Amino acid sequence: MQLTYERLLGAYRTMRMIRGFEEKLIELVNLGKMSGFLHVYLGEEAVATGVCAQLGDHDYVASTHRGHGHCIAKGVDVRGMMAELFGRSTGTCKGKGGSMHIADIDKGMLGANGIVGAGIPLATGAALTAKLKKTGGVAIAFFGDGASNQGAFHESLNLASIWKLPAVYVVENNGWGEFTPTEYVVPVKDIAERAKSYAMPAAIADGMDFFDVYAKAGEAIARARRGEGPTLLECKTYRFAGHYVGDALAYRPKDEAEKWMTERDPLRCFATRVLGEGLLSQDDLHRADGEVSRYIEEAVKAAEAAPLPEVEEVTTDVYAASPRARSPRRA
Amino acid sequence: MATPIAMPRLGMSMKEGRVVLWPVAVGGRVEKGKPVVVIESEKTDVEVEATQSGVLRHVYIAEGETVPCGTLLGALTGDVAETFDADAFRREHDRPEVVTRAPQRRVEARPSEAGVAKSNRRAVAPAARALAQQLGIDIDAIAGTGPGGRVTKEDIEAWAARRERLVPVGGGVHLEVLRSGDGPPVAMLPGFGTDVSSFAAQARALTSAYTVLGINPRGVGSSDAPGLDLYAVTNAADDVAAVCGEPTHIVGASLGAATAIELALRHPDRVKTLTLITPFVDASPRLTVVLGAWCRMAAESSAETLARVLLPWLFSERVLADATACDRIVRGLAAAAVPAATLSRAAAGLRQWSGSRQGDLARIAAPTLVVVAGADLLTANGAAVASLIPGARPVVIPDAGHAVMIEAADQVTTAILEHLR
Amino acid sequence: MSREIPTAFAIGEALRIAMESDPDVILMGEDVAGGGQRPDGTDEAGGILGTTRGLIRAFGPERVLDTPISEMALLGTAVGAAATGMRPVVELMFMDFIGVCLDPLLNQASKFRYMFGGKARLPLTVRTVTGAGMQAAAQHSQSLYWITSGIPGLKTVIPSNAGDAKGLLLSAIRCDDPVVFCEPKGILFLSSDVPEGDYEVPLGIANLVREGSDVSLVGIGATVNLALQAAAQLENEGLHADVLDLRSLQPLDEEAILTTLGKTGRLVVIDEATPRCGIASDVAALCVDQGFDLLNAPVKRVTAPFSPVPFSRVLEEAYMPSLEKVLAAVHELF
Repeated sequence: MQLTYERLLGAYRTMRMIRGFEEKLIELVNLGKMSGFLHVYLGEEAVATGVCAQLGDHDYVASTHRGHGHCIAKGVDVRGMMAELFGRSTGTCKGKGGSMHIADIDKGMLGANGIVGAGIPLATGAALTAKLKKTGGVAIAFFGDGASNQGAFHESLNLASIWKLPAVYVVENNGWGEFTPTEYVVPVKDIAERAKSYAMPAAIADGMDFFDVYAKAGEAIARARRGEGPTLLECKTYRFAGHYVGDALAYRPKDEAEKWMTERDPLRCFATRVLGEGLLSQDDLHRADGEVSRYIEEAVKAAEAAPLPEVEEVTTDVYAASPRARSPRRA
Repeated sequence: MATPIAMPRLGMSMKEGRVVLWPVAVGGRVEKGKPVVVIESEKTDVEVEATQSGVLRHVYIAEGETVPCGTLLGALTGDVAETFDADAFRREHDRPEVVTRAPQRRVEARPSEAGVAKSNRRAVAPAARALAQQLGIDIDAIAGTGPGGRVTKEDIEAWAARRERLVPVGGGVHLEVLRSGDGPPVAMLPGFGTDVSSFAAQARALTSAYTVLGINPRGVGSSDAPGLDLYAVTNAADDVAAVCGEPTHIVGASLGAATAIELALRHPDRVKTLTLITPFVDASPRLTVVLGAWCRMAAESSAETLARVLLPWLFSERVLADATACDRIVRGLAAAAVPAATLSRAAAGLRQWSGSRQGDLARIAAPTLVVVAGADLLTANGAAVASLIPGARPVVIPDAGHAVMIEAADQVTTAILEHLR
Repeated sequence: MSREIPTAFAIGEALRIAMESDPDVILMGEDVAGGGQRPDGTDEAGGILGTTRGLIRAFGPERVLDTPISEMALLGTAVGAAATGMRPVVELMFMDFIGVCLDPLLNQASKFRYMFGGKARLPLTVRTVTGAGMQAAAQHSQSLYWITSGIPGLKTVIPSNAGDAKGLLLSAIRCDDPVVFCEPKGILFLSSDVPEGDYEVPLGIANLVREGSDVSLVGIGATVNLALQAAAQLENEGLHADVLDLRSLQPLDEEAILTTLGKTGRLVVIDEATPRCGIASDVAALCVDQGFDLLNAPVKRVTAPFSPVPFSRVLEEAYMPSLEKVLAAVHELF
């Protein structure tokens, strides 16, 4: 896909939206205004944006516990997301899902997921549907380096390979699996090497560089759409914040994080390149910054003002309507 | 616009933190992303980054103080000049978390032996309890026939069905009346310490032509047992009158005969014919002593032992010589056993009545049959009673004991049938 | 029109009808095709017990998919396909294997609708073989429907006969909720009346298969047949039994259970599964909680003992509920 002016500006807005959204969450948690387990995507914006910029509503994405970035990049309504995190009835999931379960299947977003690796088979299933129904769609599984050790990863790649499913498996290798460095738990230098066991092509992208992700993901997506089967795409990236909001990061060397944050910030890298090549102007970027900032503030205000769900909602939506089942006798 | 700086929640177990250092003085500038305050929690110093660039405008919590997570530590503003109300800002943003402590565990007292040990409470099925409550029945009055003596719903139902046979006799008292057969009514009044089952043989014979009303007196069978000092024979007669609304053939044995006599004198309109089996008007010393012992044994021994002791007082040598018959009779007597409280009250009533009606027997108008048992040890003066009642016909059954309607059932039956015709 | 056929065949019939009537229905599982690629079909296994024989030849490899032995991928992929417009029927060869792939059922399929605020549809069916009786030993003989019955968002059903199996499976496949369809070993090769054509047995409704007002025998799957045998025996003692085939474990037909308890006051539930945390305990608790004043005797649970399933025939027979155990339980109530 050609990277037009609109697409580039759109990509910048998306990354800025992710960055702003996640920073706002940290602020809200520290003020005691937001609760629950939150895992922010700071530093990894280019991966979600670079992949999802090439997807339509008929393409599917399965995500992780660190899913806000994928949701935003896939087009889930940000105001709905903010309301969901505040547990409001106007939230994407009516306040019943929370951070790790935000989903919008109509927009092709199969959900963030609280179980490490669980999204991988789900995306594989979505790819199966696309193949059987011949929709021309693809399914993307986003997951981390830690998930690449889960049985579900290996079983899914194997299955997608033998069935030649239109899937792209995007491993966001950010160097850390919760509190444990990746090099301790993964014996190969590049997770991409694992694709060989499944006779699957693989690629490695610089996850901090939107353009590299865009290009490599584009190739994998095109392959899938052509019916040539799945690809494993490893994006080397870095998690700027801790595993979850409130993680004091005592286990991670401060200078390592400093280096990534000052030298490899994906938004700064993007800005440097587009300004340098005259693709976008400083004004474009500042305007986008302002719009995004205002949008997020309004989303917070709207969420705080929105109604909480009714208590009766605890037991609704457990099943689809089943008119034939007899209701249990009341005492 | 002012930006709050709050004590962050780092890690799931953190409840409070200590302010270690404000690296920038109030009024000094700080850049977004640079440390604005250093806090310590769980032995680790953590730099908290400024979320906006600006000026440190106000410090609420000084170095060295420890506060809960969420407490407002300070405020940043864009510059020193912009308006800022420290108190209002604090009211809006200060949100110290309440530190909850785990509830105190009470030391468990050891369960007392009485509670844990086998309870003496009877087992009662919930369905039985519910039905008993619904019918207003005292469940303690009902024996259980379920496993382990459990009171079942069937037990309640059986008891209730028997209750339905109860007839009100006035004063809130109900008597059990076992009704069978079809025809003119015949009331059967049992003797001391037994119930209408003693008339089983006679009842069977009568039902083809008569309606048999077996009337258990107060405290016997399912009849009410009012808590009086004694059950007077006069009350017993009034009870029978209440049950029999019309002229009825009356058959009474022993104490039941006394009741029948009393009935004939107090309510002659109720009496069509009178049959008195082993009657008395004056209790002999032997009868009085045996009754006293009977009451004591009922309170102290089993129903079976009591029945064995009573055998020689109620039956002739001929019966006593037949072990099989004795066993059968003992089982029957034990099954018909009357509660000790009733026995005492009935005995007291009997003593009170004894000797009171000797002179009145001449007033009895109803055709009367007196069945006399030749070997009756307890009420040997049956013939004398017959002679005192005008027109009374004595029928003697030689060699039979006091419980003649059991021992010589057929003969008694025949005599009654003839008399009723 | 109906004829007597074994339960396994009735299940195969249901699958065929479901696939004929809805192009979105696909079968997935290990050996569900089991070959079937040769023109004469001689290599076709049609499942470990032959239940799905003939289906790949009728519908082709895009609708009958053999998978590797990867239960996580199998279930998880099926969940993803179900969420995106397919109506998959997955075979989990033995319910004992649920340990390998519990997450897609426990945390994904069951919870999507709820977590996503009502905006998801998971028309997934998991067929799985349960129970002992074939000397398949500890890891291939368990009745684990108590696990899935306790997960909100899942439905769990278990037929006791071939006719119900067909209709219940069709209902399960057509239901828009994820349903676990249990196939007890004890009935798979038993033949009984199965109507021809397309019909459904509703989920959530128990079936009173015999009437009597002295005692209630509540059965699950294969134990329903045991209950019927016991009821016939009890007639000789002058006792008449209601026999209730639960059919649906979640939703549980509480009304039917309380109705039969109300009629007899004495209830025995017969469950092949472990005595802990099970359906039998649920039934007993329901009776005590909502039917307390109806109880004329304790609720008896005839279950397996608290042990793994043994191999040796004599041990396995001692493990399973038996006619003697049911009669003994009934006798304790009188």
